[in-house]
Amino acid sequence: METETDKEGYQKRLDRITEIFADMVTHADTQASERCPYRNRFDECTAKIHCRNQAPPRPEGELLMCGHDGGFDYRDAWESDPDSYDKAKAKIEKIKKDASSKRSAKSDSTSGTKPDST
Amino acid sequence: MAELSDVVNETLRYEIEEFIEREDELERNITLFSKIRPSMQDIAAALIEGDNGSVDVLTKAALADGIEAVEIMDNGLIAGMGIVGIKFRENFIFVPEVLACARAMKAGMAYIEPILSASGVAKAGSVIMGTVKGDLHDIGKNLCIMMLRGSGFEVFDLGVDTSADEFIDAVEEHEAHIIGMSALLTTTMPNMGKTIEAFIDADLRDDVQIMVGGAPVTQEFADDMGADGYGKDALACVSLAKELVLALA
Repeated sequence: METETDKEGYQKRLDRITEIFADMVTHADTQASERCPYRNRFDECTAKIHCRNQAPPRPEGELLMCGHDGGFDYRDAWESDPDSYDKAKAKIEKIKKDASSKRSAKSDSTSGTKPDST
Repeated sequence: MAELSDVVNETLRYEIEEFIEREDELERNITLFSKIRPSMQDIAAALIEGDNGSVDVLTKAALADGIEAVEIMDNGLIAGMGIVGIKFRENFIFVPEVLACARAMKAGMAYIEPILSASGVAKAGSVIMGTVKGDLHDIGKNLCIMMLRGSGFEVFDLGVDTSADEFIDAVEEHEAHIIGMSALLTTTMPNMGKTIEAFIDADLRDDVQIMVGGAPVTQEFADDMGADGYGKDALACVSLAKELVLALA
């Protein structure tokens, strides 16, 4: 049977989990200033991506080692340069424009209106 | 006063002795774990080791033995995660290990949540999460998922390199109406926009709330592509998801 205490008690537990996780997320951000977040405690790389710091192949099935000395701010890798950001913005505009044109053409063809040839 | 030797589980004793340095935390954890039953200590120890298979088996067995779901949550899962938090804070473990522990916690919560739902405790909402097509970065997304699950959301993780069709199929399959898209590269960011357009084409755009995030993404970019919200980090992601749940109501 549902009781207010059940709900309150559950919410309290969720709040405790959220508190633990929030501290972890905050620490993860700080830690990224000196350590790649994909690098585990054995200094292995857990990323699915290729990285130039991945050390030479290890026996099959084992993770690659991270070959970096750890003295770098990984967050820099996340910062995009203004040019590529602008390119992405321009691409979004084009995607939206193309999608809108396609939808208009489709709508015209289903309603029997001929697309404007000019 | 409780002694470390009062903690029955060997792994837990090792974890406490080896990794907890602050006196107050040491005393608190020894007191806590010395009082709880061995099967809960086993769950906590398996969670600390990121062993989701064992957490799964042990949680199921504990429930079958008649142990209350809330006791498993308190003394097994949350207590174990408390030690994980300390180890992470002190740099004994790192993000990949934390995520493994979060997966182990999810394995246990998979049995607990239905019991809580049956007793009238509603989930916060359902969210579909994925890194967009062409992008294989997943740490940020996984931290968001960890936070969302911890806050009571049901999350369907589509992983990385997720196409627009996969997002649409997931919405239809799981009837979840909040989508979270992540991208770490400026070259893959536009694929968020493509996915939003695909939802419009599928006539599903009004049925979903779409949030976006990732290091190069900005509020301006989110607005440009027509997303419903932008979260700059995992904490913002949870607040945003809660807002979007209200918008759907």
